Order: sequence, then C-alpha cells, then structure tokens
Amino acid sequence: MYNTRVRGVLIKGNKSLKDVTQDVLRPMDAPMPRWWYVTAFLAISAMIWGVWGFYNTISTGIGTWGLNNNVAWGWAIINFVWWIGIGHAGTAFSIFLLILRQKWRTSINRAAEAMTIFAVMAAGLFPLIHMGRIWDGFFIFPYWNTRGPLWDNFNSPLFWDVVAISTYLTASFLFWYLGMIPDFATIRETTASKIKKKIYGVMSFGWLGNARSWLRFETAALLLGGLAAPLVVSVHSIVSMDFAVSVIPGWHTTIFPPYFVIGAIFSGFGMVLTLMIVLRKLYKFNDYVTDGHLEAIARILTFISLIMGSAYLIELFTAWYSGNEYELFTFLKNRVTGEYTFAYWSMLTCNAIIPQLFWFKKIRKNITMVFIISLFINIGMWFERYVIVVTSLSRDFLPATWATYEPTITEVAVFAGTIGLFVMGVISFFRWIPTIAISEVKSVLKETTTLKSFTDED
Amino acid sequence: MDKKVQLSGKFKIAMIIMIVVGLISVTIGFITEDGKRAWANLLLNNYYFLSIAIGATFWMAIQYVTQSGWSSAYIRIPMAMSNYIIVSAVLFAILFFGVHDLYHWSHADAVAHDPLLKHKEPYLNVPFFAARYVVFFGLWIYLTWRIKKLSLREDTLGGIQMFEKLEFTSKVFIFVFAVSFSLFTIDWLMSLDAHWYSTIYVVKKFIMGFFHGVAMLTAIAIILNKLGYLPMLTKKHLHDFSRYIWALSLIWGYIWLSQYLLIWYANIPEETVYYIPREMGEYKTLFYTELLMNWAFPFFFLMWNRIAKSANWLLFTVGVLMIGQWVELFMSIMPNTVESHGISFIEIGTFIGSFGLFALIVGLSLSKIPVVPQKHPYLIESTTEEH
Repeated sequence: MYNTRVRGVLIKGNKSLKDVTQDVLRPMDAPMPRWWYVTAFLAISAMIWGVWGFYNTISTGIGTWGLNNNVAWGWAIINFVWWIGIGHAGTAFSIFLLILRQKWRTSINRAAEAMTIFAVMAAGLFPLIHMGRIWDGFFIFPYWNTRGPLWDNFNSPLFWDVVAISTYLTASFLFWYLGMIPDFATIRETTASKIKKKIYGVMSFGWLGNARSWLRFETAALLLGGLAAPLVVSVHSIVSMDFAVSVIPGWHTTIFPPYFVIGAIFSGFGMVLTLMIVLRKLYKFNDYVTDGHLEAIARILTFISLIMGSAYLIELFTAWYSGNEYELFTFLKNRVTGEYTFAYWSMLTCNAIIPQLFWFKKIRKNITMVFIISLFINIGMWFERYVIVVTSLSRDFLPATWATYEPTITEVAVFAGTIGLFVMGVISFFRWIPTIAISEVKSVLKETTTLKSFTDED
Repeated sequence: MDKKVQLSGKFKIAMIIMIVVGLISVTIGFITEDGKRAWANLLLNNYYFLSIAIGATFWMAIQYVTQSGWSSAYIRIPMAMSNYIIVSAVLFAILFFGVHDLYHWSHADAVAHDPLLKHKEPYLNVPFFAARYVVFFGLWIYLTWRIKKLSLREDTLGGIQMFEKLEFTSKVFIFVFAVSFSLFTIDWLMSLDAHWYSTIYVVKKFIMGFFHGVAMLTAIAIILNKLGYLPMLTKKHLHDFSRYIWALSLIWGYIWLSQYLLIWYANIPEETVYYIPREMGEYKTLFYTELLMNWAFPFFFLMWNRIAKSANWLLFTVGVLMIGQWVELFMSIMPNTVESHGISFIEIGTFIGSFGLFALIVGLSLSKIPVVPQKHPYLIESTTEEH
C-alpha cells in the first residue's frame, strides 16, 4: 500500500484542549480594546444617520427616494438583494461544507453564521420600509382578517419572499444558537465573573455535557442542518423570481434562480473572507484560521467566479441568439455599450476577472492581496444587482416612459444605516460570543485536513 | 491490487449481438420511414452516451480538484468511460449526413425567408457548426487522454507531482467542459427548434449528464465489486455514491422547476411554444414520466437509509434513472423532429445497440488499465475501513 503524507494538520501550534478554550475566550475577558470603541462609534453614527433616513421616508413618504413611475425599484431592492446574498455564507459554510466533510469549516462557521444573522436582519429592513405605510406591515402575513375577503396574493413572489426569508432567518438563528450552547457552558465554567456566570449559564440552558446531551445535541444539529440546506437555495431562488417571473427584458431569463444562488454564495464567501482576515488579525488567531483556511476559501471563490463569468457569457450569448430586439437592446446596447457601461463593466471586472488572480499561488499567499480582492467581490456583487435592477427598468418597452434614476441622500442614509447595523452586530459578536466554535475545533484538533493547501506553507 | 478486468467471451458476444440489433433497427428505420426518425434516434443515443461519459469525467475532475480521498479507488472507472468520447466523435460525425433532416436552420431557403434564422445565421450555419464540433471533441479527447496518461504514469512513479498535474488538468477540464458542453448542447439539441431559447436549457443538460454519469459509474463500481475487482466498496462508499445521486436528482429537479415555472408564469408565446406540445398533446404522459423518474423516484427512494446503502437497490435505481434520461432526451428531441410520440422497435433497438457499444468500449478500456490506481496519494483513505 502506498501513502505519501500529503495531508497536514488543521489547527497549528500543537494545541491542547485547554489551549483552545483559553485562546478563544481570552479576547472576551480582556479589557475593551480601543479599536472596538472607535468602530462602535462609527457604526452607531451610521445607524443614527440611517434612523434619520428611516424617519424621513416614513414621515414624508417614498417620494423622498429617487424612484419614479418607471424605475420603481432602486437602491432599496439592490441593497436588499445584496444583503440577502451576503447572508447566504453562514448557512452555506456550515451545511454544504458539513455535507462535503470539509473539516476546516470548524474554525470559520461560527463567524460566518453570525454574519448571516446580521446580514439578513439588515436585508429585512428594506422591504419593510419600502411599504411606506409601515404600520400596515402586518398585512403581508396571511391570516383570517377583518379587512373583508382581503388576502395576500399567493401568486406573488413578493409574498413568497416573506415566507422564505422569515423561515431562513429562524432556521439560521436556531442553528447558530444551537451550536453555541456547549460553548456558553464552557464560559460558564471558566469565567471568574459572577454576573457572566449567571448570564451564560442561562444562555447555555443548563448544559450538562454528558453523553446524552451530546447525543441529542448532535442529532438536533444534523436535523436542523438538513432542514436549512434547502433553505439556502430556496431563499435566493425566490428573490430571483421577484425579477424573473416578470416579462421585463433582462429580468425574464430562466437561468435566474441558480444564477442568483451562486451569486449569493459568491458574495457571502467574499464577505466571510473579508471578516476572517480582520478577525484573525485582531485576535491573533493565526493558528486557528491558518493561511490554509484563507486559501481554501480563495480556491472556492475562483471556482465560483468562473461560474459567474460563464453565466454572464451565457446571458449575453442568449440575448443575441434569441434575436429578440428587446433582449438585444437591454444587454448589448444598454448594459455593454450604453448608459450603464460603467456599472456593467465594474460588475464583470470585479466578479469574473479580478478573482482569477487567485490562480497564482503568490497572490493566494499574500493576505493583503486576498483582502483587497475580497473587497472587490463585495463591490462587484453590489454592482451586479444595480445592473439588473436599474438598467432593465429605466429603459423598458416604451421609449416615451424612459427615465433615469439617481439615489437621494435619504436612500444613501438608509443604506449607511444598515451597514452600521451590520458592523455593530459583528463587533458585538466579536466581543460577547466565542468567535470560534470551541467544541467543534476541539473535535478536529488532531485531525488532518482534506486539503493539501494546508501543508504547503510548512 | 494491480488487477485488470478480464472480459469474458460471453460478455463480448452479448455486446456484439446488441450492436447488431442496433444496426438492424437503424437500417429498418431508414428503409421504412423517411429517415428523420432514424436520424433523431441516432442523435438521441449519441447524445445520451456522450453526456454520460463526459458527466462521469466531470465527476472525476471534481474528485481531483477537491482532493477527495474516499473516491480515489474508483477513479479509473470514469477514466475508462471517457474513452467512449472518441467513439462518440465518430458517431456524431455520421450525424452530419442527417443534418438537413434534423435541423431546420440548415436549409438555405428556409433561412432566406425567416428573419429570425437570418439573424442567427452567423452562428447557426453548417461550416461553423462543423468547426465547433471539431474543436469541442478535440478539446475533450485531448484533456481526457492527458488525464489518463498522467494517472498511468503515477502508477509507476508515485509521489505527489503527478497528482498536482492531474489536479491542474482537472481544473482546466472543468472550465473547458462547462463552456464547450454548453455550446455543444445549444448546437445539437436546442437548435432543433431554432426559434426557441432558454438560458437554463444548457445547465439542465449539463446537470443531466453529470447526474446520470455518476449513476452509471456507480452501477459499474457495484458490478465490478460483485465480480471481485473492487473489494473496498463498503456500505459507506455505497452511501457516498447514493448521496451524489440523491443530491443531483434534487438539483436536476430544481433546474427543471426553474425553467418550467418561469416560462409558465410569464406566459410569453415565444417561450411557451416549447412546452405546449410537450405538456398538452400526445406527449403528456412522458412529460410527467420524465419528472417522476429523474426527480421524484430517486429523491424519495434514496432517502431511505437502508436502500441508499444496498448494492442491489442502487442498481435498480440506476436502471430507472437510465430510462429516465432516455425519456428526457426523447422529450427534448422528438417533438421538434419526428413529431410522433410512438416508441417502437426502432427506438428500442437503437438504444440497445448504443448501449452494447458503450458497454463494450468501457469493458475493453477497463481491461487495458489496472482497475485501481496503484499509487494514488490518497488511496489508503479509500481502501481502509476507517475512512
């Protein structure tokens, strides 16, 4: 039998079980660092600005936005889809990599799942505020009501959205929280502070850590994971149907559901990469989130970027192949060469071309470069939604109704507010919750990895 | 471990008889009808086995790229299946004689009176069509040949260098395959109705090939195991294979729904034209059969843990899926070519013949190379129990 020892270890530094607990919990007990206050100040400022935007929109009306009869969807929908996309990474990480037995996920999944929750929360604000009369928001839920025979339109993908996203948020939150229970118990047992002991004790639901608890814990995690996996796909498929069931050129393409799902996972993984680089820098987690981990994400991103590039090409080709003049106009005139050239080519460059730099090992190993590319992906995916929403709406079938769209300061404020909310959520998570799944990392401490990239650097 | 498959004489004779049956039925098709039907059947079966061979190759490339260990003992099966691509190239070349029977756009007078076909002429014309055929098959044959060569060299050299080269070649293959197979599908299947288009059509056929390719290679692995060649095929590995089949059936169903739902919802005549004859006319039964066989059946059947780990039940599932793929391609091709939903001796015979040819090629290929890669760096993970 032949065996080369090609697989390296997942966690470096020859850690003991106790080291893992201490390393992960140390930042939680340390005094508040200065960067935390600075970031929190900035995030809260953004949130206050966002609240102003909210107030403006609700008190005056949607007229404060740059929308018009033709471009009835603007930044709100773009940002909504963008945030939902980012919110895909957590569950994608945990579930898909779990199913594919990629054990390196253990160092990253907690942070990715946390990010999911905050991103989906940020996303949810946009449809809510877009209703205008927010106090009638409960109309979107189907129930026997006193408004006469007034039901939701069950044929509407907007209604499907409500169902899909609220289900996704619930399942993701439960999955995330469930995974944290043993870690909360660890904090309860190790902390010196009495208040902390009390709080984390309650949050851990009185976890005992005996065999029976573990057995049930693992069964529950598996079941929830199995249930959440289809949700990852369904949420963004339904978001894509908001567009694709219409007859607007550039929206009505049958490839939209899988194309949106792939795009969502792409942007989510991009954001995970951004965040993990920050986290590991701040908390010196280099032994847990190794260069190998970052490289593994970079490899996945290269692959997805190729899929994205192929999807753009198929769209362009089919637009030409269809011979449909409206399709031709939207894609080849409006997007590629017309008024929205900048947005289109930014999208193409950021999503399909720049990530191809990851083919070079030197770039994959250069963390600064990886960080910059991950930011480009986040920007590129925003532009993708911009291209889809604005170009198709502003130039539709009837030239007499063509209109342009520019966001107003209110819309910018709302977007900034959601970024503030997201950042605030993430740094609270950095501070009060173990950022790495202690119990899961312990289970792979002595394991070798399935990816060779982890051994390259030794 | 360095065993090669010994083909029995009976197997060879049986396969040759099947091929002869195929030849006879094709000939009958040409004699009794106007040729369209025979050509359509040849296209169906050529595409059928090409997509299976190349789908299995795609699976192999994924195993290399993800550096997966459990599957390393089975990597030679898709390698043998990929040999069929060369035969397929010849069979597709024969189809060029039937281009005018199959493709409306290949008639110059039809193009002249049809503005839409005129618009598509720069892409849909016979010389360019033939050039694409040459390029695509050239790329596939070269890349699969290179993968096989590297893998065989690994058998003697060992070490990690060959593996790294294989990994790189696999990456290239995945990219090339994705683009070329999509265009190939537009050329040979979607352009049967040159007026109709759907962006996801090529994705569906891509997934179909991957799905049924994995199913077929699972069946081959089980059969080889029963013949005593792959003793490492445990319940755990069977479960891994059936997970692939299960997940792919789900993805296939998802893609099916994406196309159908969006076209149904928007209800634009240019697009519904594809579904109307399929869903409402004589094809109604087969329309639902396709969905049941390829999605519903494997999805609910393999969910049952004991079935997912049982070699015999898996063979049964693969059998159903093989018919399922035939139905899918029948539904893609026939309504646009022969406009008859009848299944007779011609259809069945051509399939039997193509199947015999495919089985013979794969069998012969397996008898030329060791069934298990000798010095695959992760082989130990596949052959020992604990992994």
